[in-house]
Amino acid sequence: MPKEIDIMRLLKRLFDLDNLIADKEADKKMGFKIDEEVGLMSLKKERASLLKEIPIEYAEIYERIKKRYPLAIAEVKNGFCFGCFQQLPTEILTKSNEIVSCPNCGRILFWREE
Amino acid sequence: MNFASLLSRERINLELKSTKKEEVLKDLVYMIKSKTDAELIYSTLLKREELGSTGIGKSIAIPHCRSLAVSKLEIAVGRTVKPINFNAIDKKPVSLFFLIIAPPQDPGNQYLITLGKIVQISKEITKGNLISKTKTPDEFISLINEIEKGISKKR
Repeated sequence: MPKEIDIMRLLKRLFDLDNLIADKEADKKMGFKIDEEVGLMSLKKERASLLKEIPIEYAEIYERIKKRYPLAIAEVKNGFCFGCFQQLPTEILTKSNEIVSCPNCGRILFWREE
Repeated sequence: MNFASLLSRERINLELKSTKKEEVLKDLVYMIKSKTDAELIYSTLLKREELGSTGIGKSIAIPHCRSLAVSKLEIAVGRTVKPINFNAIDKKPVSLFFLIIAPPQDPGNQYLITLGKIVQISKEITKGNLISKTKTPDEFISLINEIEKGISKKR
């Protein structure tokens, strides 16, 4: 099984990819060219392949949270989950090297490397 | 919102030597981030280009995406020494690039507002044939300032 840091890297790629797909309508409105067939298909293929690379328990958490919130990953800042803006308990704040979810909203938490 | 105020001379390179799309994207990304953050942005930008080129025509491209790698709006500008193939909408090569990367959460919609502003500024740049006019980053920022003043006077 890959290390948690590598799994987090894959989850971040998946997250960025999902935002690209989510933003395509706004891009179109702004006049950018969007290839709804080949281009979108390629992104969806990449998404499927990323999901396969991520251990199933984490992939399932991500997909479950994504159904509830458009942004399934949230940054931890000053002890708060920046998804739901609730203060995180100390036991979570000591786990910055692990993949953990916010106990309030369930979003996967990430700490920015300074 | 003043776009020129978001620019910094350290993030403007008007002499990019790269000749390929991937190289230019990498040059731009490494102006704002390094290591794993840069790699994440780069891979997302490549995917964005697969969805459709961000080359808006008339030698200008606006590569952009939202990414977890940034915590605030980040902008870089690059101009290649020679125009490069970027699969732009008008099929013509591109030489001026505005890179814009936004954090996923963008409460004030600053990302879309900035993107819209760059599209508007780009039109003025092409109208006045100004792509190669500036030689230094400071001159470039002054030019953008002038263009923005012109746009707001028209309103």
